[in-house]
Amino acid sequence: MTAPNSAERKACWDSRDLLWKCLDDNGDKTASCEKFQGEFEANCPAQWVKYFMKRRDFLKYKEKMQTEGFTPAEGPRQPS
Amino acid sequence: MLGFRCIVGDAVRGGGRLLRNLPPVQSRSVRLLPPPHLPQLTHTCLLSKGPNASVSSAKLKLRTRLAVTLLLGGGVLAVWRYVYLEKQQNLRRQRVEQLRRVALGQGSFSLLDHRGQRRTKKDFLGGWLLLYFGFTHCPDICPDELDKLSAVVSALDRDASLPPVQPVFITVDPERDDAPALARYVKDFHPRLIALTGSPEEVKHAGRDYRVYASAGPKDEDGDYIVDHSILIYLVSPDGLFLDYYNRMKSEEQITQSVRSHILHHETLEL
Repeated sequence: MTAPNSAERKACWDSRDLLWKCLDDNGDKTASCEKFQGEFEANCPAQWVKYFMKRRDFLKYKEKMQTEGFTPAEGPRQPS
Repeated sequence: MLGFRCIVGDAVRGGGRLLRNLPPVQSRSVRLLPPPHLPQLTHTCLLSKGPNASVSSAKLKLRTRLAVTLLLGGGVLAVWRYVYLEKQQNLRRQRVEQLRRVALGQGSFSLLDHRGQRRTKKDFLGGWLLLYFGFTHCPDICPDELDKLSAVVSALDRDASLPPVQPVFITVDPERDDAPALARYVKDFHPRLIALTGSPEEVKHAGRDYRVYASAGPKDEDGDYIVDHSILIYLVSPDGLFLDYYNRMKSEEQITQSVRSHILHHETLEL
Protein backbone atom coordinates (compact mmCIF):
# COMPACT_ATOMS: atom_id res chain seq x y z
CA MET A 1 0.00 0.00 0.00
CA THR A 2 1.52 3.30 -1.06
CA ALA A 3 1.42 6.35 1.14
CA PRO A 4 -1.00 9.14 0.17
CA ASN A 5 0.56 11.78 -2.06
CA SER A 6 0.33 15.49 -1.51
CA ALA A 7 -3.08 15.85 -3.28
CA GLU A 8 -4.53 12.91 -1.37
CA ARG A 9 -3.22 14.27 1.91
CA LYS A 10 -4.83 17.61 1.19
CA ALA A 11 -8.17 15.98 0.30
CA CYS A 12 -8.03 14.01 3.57
CA TRP A 13 -7.16 17.06 5.69
CA ASP A 14 -9.89 19.16 4.03
CA SER A 15 -12.60 16.59 4.74
CA ARG A 16 -11.24 16.20 8.27
CA ASP A 17 -11.53 19.95 8.84
CA LEU A 18 -15.12 19.95 7.51
CA LEU A 19 -16.07 17.09 9.82
CA TRP A 20 -14.41 18.71 12.85
CA LYS A 21 -16.20 21.97 12.14
CA CYS A 22 -19.52 20.15 11.84
CA LEU A 23 -18.91 18.35 15.14
CA ASP A 24 -17.97 21.63 16.81
CA ASP A 25 -21.12 23.32 15.50
CA ASN A 26 -23.41 20.44 16.51
CA GLY A 27 -22.12 19.80 20.01
CA ASP A 28 -20.27 16.62 18.96
CA LYS A 29 -23.48 14.86 17.82
CA THR A 30 -22.20 12.38 15.21
CA ALA A 31 -25.72 11.82 13.84
CA SER A 32 -25.81 15.36 12.40
CA CYS A 33 -22.46 14.93 10.63
CA GLU A 34 -22.85 11.57 8.96
CA LYS A 35 -22.33 13.06 5.51
CA PHE A 36 -18.98 14.57 6.55
CA GLN A 37 -18.01 11.44 8.42
CA GLY A 38 -18.56 9.40 5.23
CA GLU A 39 -16.44 11.78 3.13
CA PHE A 40 -13.73 11.85 5.78
CA GLU A 41 -13.54 8.05 5.81
CA ALA A 42 -13.56 7.91 2.01
CA ASN A 43 -10.70 10.42 1.69
CA CYS A 44 -8.40 9.16 4.43
CA PRO A 45 -6.73 5.81 5.07
CA ALA A 46 -8.42 3.90 7.90
CA GLN A 47 -5.41 4.39 10.19
CA TRP A 48 -5.54 8.13 9.68
CA VAL A 49 -9.28 8.18 10.50
CA LYS A 50 -8.52 6.53 13.84
CA TYR A 51 -5.52 8.78 14.41
CA PHE A 52 -7.39 12.01 13.67
CA MET A 53 -10.37 11.07 15.88
CA LYS A 54 -7.96 10.47 18.78
CA ARG A 55 -6.12 13.64 17.90
CA ARG A 56 -9.35 15.66 18.07
CA ASP A 57 -10.04 14.29 21.56
CA PHE A 58 -6.53 15.19 22.58
CA LEU A 59 -6.75 18.73 21.16
CA LYS A 60 -10.11 19.24 22.91
CA TYR A 61 -8.63 18.03 26.17
CA LYS A 62 -5.61 20.28 25.73
CA GLU A 63 -7.83 23.28 25.04
CA LYS A 64 -9.89 22.52 28.14
CA MET A 65 -6.73 22.33 30.23
CA GLN A 66 -5.54 25.64 28.85
CA THR A 67 -8.80 27.54 29.28
CA GLU A 68 -10.27 25.97 32.41
CA GLY A 69 -7.16 24.67 34.05
CA PHE A 70 -6.59 21.37 35.75
CA THR A 71 -8.90 20.29 38.55
CA PRO A 72 -7.28 17.54 40.55
CA ALA A 73 -9.48 14.56 41.29
CA GLU A 74 -10.66 14.25 44.86
CA GLY A 75 -8.17 12.15 46.75
CA PRO A 76 -9.06 9.15 48.84
CA ARG A 77 -11.25 10.04 51.74
CA GLN A 78 -9.54 10.48 55.05
CA PRO A 79 -10.18 7.52 57.30
CA SER A 80 -12.68 8.67 59.86
CA MET B 1 44.08 47.16 32.90
CA LEU B 2 45.60 49.52 35.45
CA GLY B 3 46.60 51.95 32.78
CA PHE B 4 43.17 51.59 31.30
CA ARG B 5 41.46 52.64 34.49
CA CYS B 6 43.90 55.48 34.84
CA ILE B 7 42.91 56.92 31.47
CA VAL B 8 39.22 56.58 32.15
CA GLY B 9 39.67 58.15 35.56
CA ASP B 10 41.56 61.04 34.07
CA ALA B 11 38.98 61.61 31.41
CA VAL B 12 36.32 61.86 34.08
CA ARG B 13 38.10 63.72 36.84
CA GLY B 14 40.66 65.96 35.30
CA GLY B 15 40.77 65.55 31.56
CA GLY B 16 41.64 69.21 31.38
CA ARG B 17 44.81 68.71 33.28
CA LEU B 18 45.93 66.08 30.86
CA LEU B 19 45.04 68.27 27.92
CA ARG B 20 46.77 71.32 29.20
CA ASN B 21 49.83 69.19 29.63
CA LEU B 22 50.03 68.42 25.95
CA PRO B 23 51.67 70.89 23.61
CA PRO B 24 49.09 72.34 21.16
CA VAL B 25 50.70 70.99 18.00
CA GLN B 26 50.86 67.49 19.30
CA SER B 27 47.30 67.35 20.55
CA ARG B 28 45.96 68.44 17.20
CA SER B 29 47.60 65.45 15.61
CA VAL B 30 46.46 62.92 18.20
CA ARG B 31 45.24 59.79 16.45
CA LEU B 32 43.00 57.06 17.71
CA LEU B 33 45.49 54.69 19.20
CA PRO B 34 44.88 50.96 18.78
CA PRO B 35 45.03 48.74 21.92
CA PRO B 36 48.75 47.80 21.57
CA HIS B 37 49.66 51.47 22.12
CA LEU B 38 48.01 51.53 25.52
CA PRO B 39 51.24 51.41 27.52
CA GLN B 40 52.30 54.63 25.85
CA LEU B 41 49.09 56.32 26.98
CA THR B 42 49.67 55.04 30.47
CA HIS B 43 52.99 56.75 30.39
CA THR B 44 51.42 60.09 29.51
CA CYS B 45 48.87 59.55 32.19
CA LEU B 46 51.54 59.01 34.83
CA LEU B 47 53.40 62.08 33.65
CA SER B 48 50.31 64.22 34.02
CA LYS B 49 50.34 63.47 37.71
CA GLY B 50 53.90 64.71 38.01
CA PRO B 51 54.98 68.21 39.00
CA ASN B 52 54.87 69.31 35.34
CA ALA B 53 51.08 69.32 35.43
CA SER B 54 50.78 72.44 37.50
CA VAL B 55 53.56 74.25 35.67
CA SER B 56 52.11 74.23 32.21
CA SER B 57 48.97 76.33 31.85
CA ALA B 58 48.76 76.79 28.12
CA LYS B 59 45.13 77.10 27.18
CA LEU B 60 43.74 74.97 24.47
CA LYS B 61 40.76 75.66 22.36
CA LEU B 62 37.59 73.96 23.55
CA ARG B 63 37.27 72.28 20.17
CA THR B 64 40.62 70.56 20.55
CA ARG B 65 39.80 69.39 24.05
CA LEU B 66 36.53 68.01 22.83
CA ALA B 67 38.23 66.24 19.95
CA VAL B 68 40.76 64.61 22.25
CA THR B 69 38.08 63.56 24.73
CA LEU B 70 36.04 62.03 21.92
CA LEU B 71 39.06 60.23 20.56
CA LEU B 72 39.94 58.82 23.97
CA GLY B 73 36.30 57.83 24.53
CA GLY B 74 36.21 56.19 21.12
CA GLY B 75 39.39 54.30 21.93
CA VAL B 76 37.90 53.04 25.19
CA LEU B 77 34.76 51.94 23.36
CA ALA B 78 36.81 50.21 20.67
CA VAL B 79 38.76 48.28 23.30
CA TRP B 80 35.55 47.37 25.11
CA ARG B 81 34.01 46.14 21.85
CA TYR B 82 37.12 44.12 21.06
CA VAL B 83 37.08 42.47 24.48
CA TYR B 84 33.35 41.79 24.17
CA LEU B 85 33.66 40.15 20.73
CA GLU B 86 36.63 38.11 21.91
CA LYS B 87 34.58 36.87 24.84
CA GLN B 88 31.64 35.92 22.61
CA GLN B 89 33.95 34.00 20.31
CA ASN B 90 35.45 32.19 23.30
CA LEU B 91 31.98 31.18 24.47
CA ARG B 92 31.20 29.78 21.03
CA ARG B 93 34.50 27.89 20.99
CA GLN B 94 33.69 26.42 24.39
CA ARG B 95 30.23 25.39 23.17
CA VAL B 96 31.72 23.58 20.17
CA GLU B 97 34.15 21.82 22.52
CA GLN B 98 31.25 20.73 24.73
CA LEU B 99 29.24 19.57 21.72
CA ARG B 100 32.16 17.45 20.62
CA ARG B 101 31.94 15.59 23.89
CA VAL B 102 28.14 15.24 23.76
CA ALA B 103 27.11 11.69 22.93
CA LEU B 104 24.79 12.81 20.16
CA GLY B 105 25.26 12.47 16.43
CA GLN B 106 28.85 11.30 16.91
CA GLY B 107 28.59 8.07 15.00
CA SER B 108 28.22 7.47 11.31
CA PHE B 109 25.43 6.11 9.16
CA SER B 110 25.29 4.22 5.89
CA LEU B 111 21.92 4.35 4.16
CA LEU B 112 20.32 4.24 0.71
CA ASP B 113 18.96 7.45 -0.76
CA HIS B 114 15.69 7.69 -2.70
CA ARG B 115 17.61 7.12 -5.96
CA GLY B 116 19.02 3.86 -4.61
CA GLN B 117 22.55 5.17 -4.01
CA ARG B 118 24.43 4.39 -0.84
CA ARG B 119 25.15 7.45 1.28
CA THR B 120 27.23 7.67 4.42
CA LYS B 121 27.54 10.50 6.88
CA LYS B 122 31.02 11.16 5.47
CA ASP B 123 29.48 12.08 2.09
CA PHE B 124 27.71 14.98 3.77
CA LEU B 125 30.76 16.40 5.58
CA GLY B 126 31.73 19.90 4.52
CA GLY B 127 28.17 21.13 4.21
CA TRP B 128 25.34 22.12 6.54
CA LEU B 129 22.58 19.58 7.15
CA LEU B 130 19.06 19.81 8.47
CA LEU B 131 17.97 16.32 9.49
CA TYR B 132 14.45 15.11 10.10
CA PHE B 133 13.25 11.61 11.02
CA GLY B 134 9.75 10.48 9.99
CA PHE B 135 7.79 8.14 7.72
CA THR B 136 5.80 8.53 4.51
CA HIS B 137 2.51 7.17 5.89
CA CYS B 138 2.59 9.88 8.55
CA PRO B 139 -0.85 11.54 8.86
CA ASP B 140 -0.06 15.17 9.59
CA ILE B 141 3.03 15.94 11.63
CA CYS B 142 5.76 14.74 9.21
CA PRO B 143 4.34 16.56 6.17
CA ASP B 144 3.94 19.70 8.30
CA GLU B 145 7.49 19.50 9.59
CA LEU B 146 8.91 18.71 6.14
CA ASP B 147 6.98 21.67 4.69
CA LYS B 148 8.50 23.84 7.40
CA LEU B 149 11.97 22.40 6.77
CA SER B 150 11.59 23.04 3.01
CA ALA B 151 10.49 26.64 3.66
CA VAL B 152 13.50 27.20 5.95
CA VAL B 153 15.92 25.87 3.32
CA SER B 154 14.27 28.00 0.60
CA ALA B 155 14.54 31.09 2.81
CA LEU B 156 18.24 30.37 3.42
CA ASP B 157 18.73 29.73 -0.32
CA ARG B 158 17.56 33.28 -1.01
CA ASP B 159 20.46 34.65 1.03
CA ALA B 160 23.36 34.49 -1.43
CA SER B 161 25.94 35.05 1.32
CA LEU B 162 25.11 31.69 2.93
CA PRO B 163 26.30 28.27 1.76
CA PRO B 164 23.52 25.88 0.67
CA VAL B 165 21.91 23.87 3.47
CA GLN B 166 21.10 20.25 2.64
CA PRO B 167 17.70 18.98 3.86
CA VAL B 168 17.72 15.27 4.74
CA PHE B 169 14.78 13.03 5.65
CA ILE B 170 15.54 9.68 7.32
CA THR B 171 12.72 7.18 7.58
CA VAL B 172 11.87 5.41 10.82
CA ASP B 173 9.71 2.92 8.87
CA PRO B 174 12.12 0.98 6.62
CA GLU B 175 9.57 -1.84 6.25
CA ARG B 176 7.35 0.28 3.98
CA ASP B 177 9.62 3.16 3.00
CA ASP B 178 11.85 1.73 0.29
CA ALA B 179 13.69 3.91 -2.23
CA PRO B 180 10.75 4.15 -4.72
CA ALA B 181 8.32 5.09 -1.92
CA LEU B 182 10.72 7.81 -0.77
CA ALA B 183 11.24 9.00 -4.36
CA ARG B 184 7.48 9.57 -4.66
CA TYR B 185 7.39 11.30 -1.28
CA VAL B 186 10.27 13.79 -1.73
CA LYS B 187 8.61 15.26 -4.84
CA ASP B 188 6.18 17.13 -2.57
CA PHE B 189 8.95 19.01 -0.74
CA HIS B 190 12.16 20.97 -1.34
CA PRO B 191 13.80 19.96 -4.67
CA ARG B 192 17.12 19.24 -2.91
CA LEU B 193 15.56 17.05 -0.21
CA ILE B 194 17.37 13.72 0.10
CA ALA B 195 15.44 10.85 1.70
CA LEU B 196 17.31 7.93 3.25
CA THR B 197 16.31 4.39 4.09
CA GLY B 198 18.03 1.04 4.61
CA SER B 199 17.72 -2.24 6.42
CA PRO B 200 15.86 -2.06 9.77
CA GLU B 201 19.25 -2.36 11.53
CA GLU B 202 20.85 0.43 9.52
CA VAL B 203 17.89 2.73 10.10
CA LYS B 204 17.79 1.91 13.79
CA HIS B 205 21.50 2.61 14.08
CA ALA B 206 21.17 6.02 12.37
CA GLY B 207 18.25 6.93 14.64
CA ARG B 208 19.93 5.74 17.83
CA ASP B 209 22.81 8.08 17.14
CA TYR B 210 20.39 11.02 17.43
CA ARG B 211 18.40 9.48 20.29
CA VAL B 212 15.38 9.13 18.03
CA TYR B 213 12.49 7.24 19.55
CA ALA B 214 10.32 5.29 17.09
CA SER B 215 7.71 2.65 17.80
CA ALA B 216 5.34 1.12 15.24
CA GLY B 217 1.72 0.87 16.36
CA PRO B 218 -0.55 -2.18 15.86
CA LYS B 219 -1.38 -3.17 12.28
CA ASP B 220 -4.98 -3.06 11.10
CA GLU B 221 -6.64 -5.50 8.63
CA ASP B 222 -4.98 -3.68 5.65
CA GLY B 223 -1.57 -4.06 7.28
CA ASP B 224 -1.49 -0.30 7.79
CA TYR B 225 0.01 1.19 10.93
CA ILE B 226 1.19 4.47 12.40
CA VAL B 227 4.71 4.92 13.74
CA ASP B 228 4.98 6.98 16.88
CA HIS B 229 8.29 8.83 16.85
CA SER B 230 10.16 11.84 18.21
CA ILE B 231 9.69 15.03 16.21
CA LEU B 232 12.89 17.05 16.04
CA ILE B 233 14.83 18.79 13.32
CA TYR B 234 18.60 18.53 13.86
CA LEU B 235 21.20 21.00 12.62
CA VAL B 236 24.53 19.36 11.73
CA SER B 237 27.63 21.47 11.03
CA PRO B 238 30.12 20.88 8.18
CA ASP B 239 32.30 19.08 10.75
CA GLY B 240 29.53 16.50 11.14
CA LEU B 241 28.80 17.83 14.60
CA PHE B 242 25.30 18.11 16.04
CA LEU B 243 24.83 21.85 16.75
CA ASP B 244 21.19 22.52 17.53
CA TYR B 245 17.69 21.06 17.34
CA TYR B 246 14.24 22.49 16.71
CA ASN B 247 10.97 21.10 18.03
CA ARG B 248 7.45 21.54 16.67
CA MET B 249 6.91 24.79 18.54
CA LYS B 250 9.66 26.54 16.59
CA SER B 251 8.35 28.54 13.65
CA GLU B 252 9.85 28.68 10.20
CA GLU B 253 11.23 32.17 10.95
CA GLN B 254 12.78 31.12 14.25
CA ILE B 255 14.56 28.15 12.69
CA THR B 256 15.78 30.21 9.72
CA GLN B 257 17.14 32.87 12.07
CA SER B 258 18.86 30.32 14.28
CA VAL B 259 20.46 28.40 11.38
CA ARG B 260 21.66 31.65 9.79
CA SER B 261 23.26 32.75 13.05
CA HIS B 262 24.94 29.36 13.49
CA ILE B 263 26.36 29.54 9.96
CA LEU B 264 27.62 33.11 10.34
CA HIS B 265 29.34 32.43 13.66
CA HIS B 266 30.71 29.06 12.74
CA GLU B 267 34.40 28.40 13.07
CA THR B 268 35.78 25.38 11.31
CA LEU B 269 37.39 23.05 13.79
CA GLU B 270 40.93 21.93 13.40
CA LEU B 271 40.42 18.22 13.13
